[in-house]
Amino acid sequence: MSNKLQIHLAKVFLKIFLRDRQSIFFSLFFPIILMTVFGFGNIGEPEPFRMGVVNNSQNVLATEFIQLLDEDPIFTVSLGDEDSLRSDLIEGDQTLVLVIPENFDAQSAGADLRLLVDAAQVQQLGLIMPILEQSLISIEREFRNIEPMFYLILEDVKARSQRYLDFLLPGLMAFTLMQLSIAGSGFNIVEYRRKGILKRLFVTPIKPIDFITAIVLARLAIILLQLTVLILFAILILDVSIVGNFASFYFIVILGTFIFLCLGFCLGSLAKTQQAVMAVGNIVIFPQIFLSGIFYPIESMPELIQPIAQILPLSFVSTGMRDIANEGASLLAIGPSLIGIAVWFVIAFMLATRFFVWKEVAN
Amino acid sequence: MAIIEVENLTKRYPLPDNKSESFFAVNGISFKIEEGEIYGILGPNGAGKTTTLEMLEGLNDIDDGTAFINGVDVKADPYKIKEIIGVQLQANQYFDNLSLVELLTLFGALYSREVNPEFLLGKVNLLDKAKAKPENLSGGQQQRFSIACALVNNPKVLFLDEPTTGLDPQAKRNLWDLVIELNETSMTIVLTTHNMEEAETLCERIAIMDHGKIVAEDTPQNLILKHAAEPPKAPLHGNIEDVFLALTGHALRD
Repeated sequence: MSNKLQIHLAKVFLKIFLRDRQSIFFSLFFPIILMTVFGFGNIGEPEPFRMGVVNNSQNVLATEFIQLLDEDPIFTVSLGDEDSLRSDLIEGDQTLVLVIPENFDAQSAGADLRLLVDAAQVQQLGLIMPILEQSLISIEREFRNIEPMFYLILEDVKARSQRYLDFLLPGLMAFTLMQLSIAGSGFNIVEYRRKGILKRLFVTPIKPIDFITAIVLARLAIILLQLTVLILFAILILDVSIVGNFASFYFIVILGTFIFLCLGFCLGSLAKTQQAVMAVGNIVIFPQIFLSGIFYPIESMPELIQPIAQILPLSFVSTGMRDIANEGASLLAIGPSLIGIAVWFVIAFMLATRFFVWKEVAN
Repeated sequence: MAIIEVENLTKRYPLPDNKSESFFAVNGISFKIEEGEIYGILGPNGAGKTTTLEMLEGLNDIDDGTAFINGVDVKADPYKIKEIIGVQLQANQYFDNLSLVELLTLFGALYSREVNPEFLLGKVNLLDKAKAKPENLSGGQQQRFSIACALVNNPKVLFLDEPTTGLDPQAKRNLWDLVIELNETSMTIVLTTHNMEEAETLCERIAIMDHGKIVAEDTPQNLILKHAAEPPKAPLHGNIEDVFLALTGHALRD
């Protein structure tokens, strides 16, 4: 597929790109910071609710009830009097305040517990109420010595716990490869044109296909290197697990890089200045950041947007990478993503050869 | 034998305010250049000098007329033309992070040739800069390096587009020496300039272009005889450049 000239040129470009250490380093800066924040900050896992408890009863039963709530990881319990906790609630220092009445004991059936909430937190009530009721029921059972009729046992079918970072990593990789590819080809073309380098190359017998192939090969090598650094960082430092086959994972990475390098060539051919290529590049990059299921699953998006989101090139690439990394899917199993990637591959290649006309791009 | 034959060469662009009307950047020019000649295209900015060269180099489409270099039709076989010409463009920036030697090797590869970078650098007097980057060269050194790049395929015809524009007198004269030296190996050299003195000293024949047309074409001596105004009664001896050179010396300042 590649001839001697292409290989020789690719080596030269590789040398050019590798000597630009600053850009190689700084293009990894953002993804590494992002991964570190998500990796160590436990973002994405729910924070416990801060619950203030006013204990007006002071009997054993009430103490036991409070202890039960405190043991639940979903709450952090702090005790206090009603007035100060109420003002804490208004200032947002407490999420909710529970007032245990004086007659909280076995004798008086039907004691009322009051729950003070901030209306802004009202959607969390749906989560909190069942837990409170469950705690009350279990205390009641224990006290009246009744065995519960039913038990509910949770079983995780995925059989392995998944952190948000595990979900994020493949998407972040896909996003990084898109950015590096589009910048790598698009920005380079515009820069070479501005410097008159394309014009100079055009008066030599080199064919455009040799030039494009050489840049694509060299960029591909650099991007694979950069992504490998990211993956190693994620696995070794952040303890992210990649379940699937590495060869399949890199296969998708290579196809994705090809797609976005080609799209970058289109941008570089259409946009005449560095500013224009930035602007046009953002039109391609930005919607995909939000719509391609990088930071949260496409299924959680509004119904109306989902069909559009699903056919974006980055969606296919990130979904494919995620299925392999998180689920250990085989290439056969991610068929739909692969078909999408193949279609985009053809589209991007055709657009690139259509728009990258030597004479027009050079002048 | 004429190595370059140009007939009725035309380049037109649509006018920006009226697309149906055309502006003629080059308006039906014809000329012949003999093998081994140094041919100068002289003219003010916007006269069509660069466009003419770009059409011969294959950078610009030929809208009308024909151009043959070494018997090859430029329009029909641009890749064959590229093999036998060497080109120095007005803009002469190169890839970042590559040294002169690496760039020359790269240019050789574009012609599928093994080149001897040191030999080429020696030819343009830049051997001591072999490991330097082009952006760190002075203006004159950059122009000489551009010429070295244009020589990698040992071209039959060398096109130089305003090679001395922006150079100091020393660098300019040094470049003229280089052009004469290259010409002695029977290389045909076509250059554009708006420096009258350059045309007069270097070129065997000159075409003066204005508004896309050749308004005069001959040897410098004949042109002077034909067109120059009567000299003043008591002509000044020399000119201010002679004074400048006498005071600052001929040594290169690169």
